[in-house]
Amino acid sequence: MARKDLLDIASLHREEIEFLLDQSTSFKKLFTRSVKKIPALEGKSVLMLFYEASTRTHSSFEVAAKRLSAEVTNFNVDHSSITKGESVRETIETLQAMRTDYIVVRHSHSGLPGMIARQTTASVINAGDGAHEHPTQALLDAFTIKEKFPDPRGKKVLIIGDILHSRVARSTSTLLQKLGVEVAYLGPGSLVPKYIPESIRRFTDYEAAMAWAPDVVYLLRVQMERQDVQFFPNVREYHRVYGITNARLAEISDKGLYIMHPGPVNRGVELCDAVMDYERSLITNQVENGISVRMAVLDWLTPGGDFPRQEPYAAQQQASSSVVTP
Amino acid sequence: MLLLQNARIASENSPVLVEGDVLIVEGIIQDIGSSLAIPEGARVIDAHGRVLMPAMFDAHVHFRAPGFENKETITTGSEAAINGGITGVVMMPNTRPALDSATAIATVLENAKDRSRIPVYTSGCVTKNREGKELAEIEGMRGLGVKMLTDDGDTTADPAVLLRAMQYATEFGMFFASHCEVPELAGPRALNEGVMSYRLGIKGSPACAEEIIIDRDIRLARAAGAHVHIQHVSSKLGMETIRWWKSRGDVKVTAEVAPHHLMFTDEHIGDYDTNYKMNPPLRTQADCDALLEGLKEGVFDLIATDHAPHTPFEKAQDFISAPNGITGLDTALVSLYHHFVEPGKFGWDLVVKRYSAEPRRLMGLPVPAIEVGQQINCVLFDTEAETTFTKEFMKSKSQNTPFIDKTLKGRVDLVILGTEILLER
Repeated sequence: MARKDLLDIASLHREEIEFLLDQSTSFKKLFTRSVKKIPALEGKSVLMLFYEASTRTHSSFEVAAKRLSAEVTNFNVDHSSITKGESVRETIETLQAMRTDYIVVRHSHSGLPGMIARQTTASVINAGDGAHEHPTQALLDAFTIKEKFPDPRGKKVLIIGDILHSRVARSTSTLLQKLGVEVAYLGPGSLVPKYIPESIRRFTDYEAAMAWAPDVVYLLRVQMERQDVQFFPNVREYHRVYGITNARLAEISDKGLYIMHPGPVNRGVELCDAVMDYERSLITNQVENGISVRMAVLDWLTPGGDFPRQEPYAAQQQASSSVVTP
Repeated sequence: MLLLQNARIASENSPVLVEGDVLIVEGIIQDIGSSLAIPEGARVIDAHGRVLMPAMFDAHVHFRAPGFENKETITTGSEAAINGGITGVVMMPNTRPALDSATAIATVLENAKDRSRIPVYTSGCVTKNREGKELAEIEGMRGLGVKMLTDDGDTTADPAVLLRAMQYATEFGMFFASHCEVPELAGPRALNEGVMSYRLGIKGSPACAEEIIIDRDIRLARAAGAHVHIQHVSSKLGMETIRWWKSRGDVKVTAEVAPHHLMFTDEHIGDYDTNYKMNPPLRTQADCDALLEGLKEGVFDLIATDHAPHTPFEKAQDFISAPNGITGLDTALVSLYHHFVEPGKFGWDLVVKRYSAEPRRLMGLPVPAIEVGQQINCVLFDTEAETTFTKEFMKSKSQNTPFIDKTLKGRVDLVILGTEILLER
C-alpha cells in the first residue's frame, strides 16, 4: 500500500514495518561503498521545517535525502518562540505553492504534522511532534535492536526517564511491541504516568526494574526545558535514583546488557561518563542507522495524489495490538 | 388564531404525554382539549402525534459580540437558538471588551433588542476584564438587570477576591456562576488527563482540577451566604461534590451539565479532532454515566450548552493551537432526544424541567407551560423525523460541532413565541 505521509508508528501495519526495516538493511550496505549516493530521489525536493532546534535528527534527514540525490532546502523558522498553528498554516500554503515533494517537520505541538499533511500534497514526515511521536527514531531503534537480536520476540527493553514528555518513549515502545518485544518504563512517579497502556510494565524502583531482567536499557534524555513545574528535586538526586551510575554500569556490564540513548546525552544525569565507552553501548549505532532508516522512509513514501489519510483511532488500536512475526 | 391538532403535550411534571388540541388566540393559550371545534378564521396545524412542549432556555451561551463578530453575532446566535427550539439565552461576558461595566452591558442589551427575535439576557463579569483582580462594576450592571456574575472561561483564581465579590453582590440579590478549574493544574490544553493525554502526547487536565474549585466555590458561597451556580460540570467527583453539598442543605447551590459532557468521552478526540476540544474537557465513560445519574437525580438543576462558536480557520489548526469550545444551540434538543429520550434513558419531563423551566427559574423569569391562560412559548418536535446537521442547516455563524454532517433522530418543526411563529419547518 502506498502512503503519502509518515506521521506516527501507531497506524503502521506489520508489512510496512517489515518492508522499511528490510529496505534500511539494503541502504546501509551502500555506506561501505566508495560512492554512497544513489539517484532514487533525483529531481525531488525535500524541505526541512524544524520549529524546534535539532542537530542530530535534522542532519540525519539531510544526509539521508542527499544520499538519495534529493534537493534539500532548509526553511528557516524562529526557534525562540512557539509558532502557533495559525502561522504554520500560512507557511504551508506557501510551501504548497512551491511544489515541494517532501516536508520533514518538527514542532512542539503534538498532532501538528497531521494538520500539515491534510493541507498539502507533499509527503509529510514527522520528525518529532511534542510528546506525541517520533516515528523515524522508533524505526532506527528497532533496526538497531534487530541488528543485535535478529528475532527480537520476547526480548525485554527497559526505557528509563521522562516518559511523560517523551515522544521517543511513545513511538519506540509502540514499535517494539509490534515486533513482539516486551517493554517496561522506569522513572520518577511524577514522570511515569499511571495511565500508560496496560501492555507496558511500570516501574518506579530501579532494583525492581532490573529484577525484571531486561536485555536492553534505553535511557531518555532528561528534558529540564520541558518542565513547567518541577518533577524532581535536582539532577544529582535524579542521577542517584534513576541514572546509570558507575556501580550500576558494572552490574549492567556483568549481565551483558545493551545500552541505548536517542541523544544528545546529559552526562552525569541519565548516565555517567563511563557509559560512553561501554562496549555494549549502541548509541553511535543508533546515529549511523538513523541515516539508512530515513533513506528507506523517504524512498518509500509517495507524494501527491489522493492517498488514504491516517486511519481513525479504532483502526490504529487494531494495528498496535497485532504483533510482527519476523 | 392558531389551532394545533393532535399534539402530544409534554410538561415538567409528568413523563406521560397528554394528547390534545391547543387553541392559541393572540399568543395566549385559549383552550386545550380533544377534538376542539375549529373557530372561524383559525389556522389549523395537524401535529399528528408530534410532541408539543414549552420552548427551551439556554443559560450558558457565547455570542461573541462585541469583539469576535467573525465567530458569532447576537443575530446569528439567537437564530441558532430558534433553530434548535430555544427561545431565551444568557450570554457569557467574555467578549472584547469584557462585559464588566454598566456601559458595556447597556451596549449589548441595546444591540440585542434590534438584532434578536428572542430575549437575550447577559451575565456580567465578577472582576474587571475577567482578570481576577479588581471587582467589576457590580451594582451598575445590576441596575441594567444583570443577575448572574461570572468570569466564565476562567476561574476567579484568587479566593479572597471571589469571597469579597460574593459578600458584596449578594446584598443586591445577584448570584455567581463558576467555571471551575485550578488554573495551575488544568493548563491551557483542554484535554482530560488519562489514557488519551498519554496517547496524544498532550499535557492533560486532571478531574481534580475541577473538583477542587467546585468545592472551594461552594464553601466560599456558604461563608458569604451567596448563591453559587456551578457551570458545565464534567467529572464524576465534581457531581458527587455538588450532591454532597446539596444534601447538607446549608448553602444555595445550583449546577448545570452540558449535553456534550453527557454524550462524549475523550476517546472521541481520536486523531486530534478539534470539534471535541472544549474546556472543561471531555472525560471518561464513567464520568458520562455519573453525570447522567446526577441529571436524573436532580443534582444538576439544568442543562446548558456552553455554545462556543469559533471560525473554521481557527478550528482547523492543530489541536493545541485550536481554541476551546463547540457550538450547541442548533443541535442540543435534537441530540438530547436522540441520545436519551428516544432510547428511554429519561423522559420529556426531564427535558422540559431541566432545559426549559429550571434555567428560567435560575434567572427569575416566568416559566412557560402548555396550559390555558399562558402565553404560548413552545416547540413542536417530530420524534419520527430526522435532522442532518449540514453547514446549511445550522444558523450559527460557526459550525464547530461534533454533529457536523451527522444525522440524528428528531426534528424541531415549529417554534412559537407569543404572536410570532419564529420557525416553521
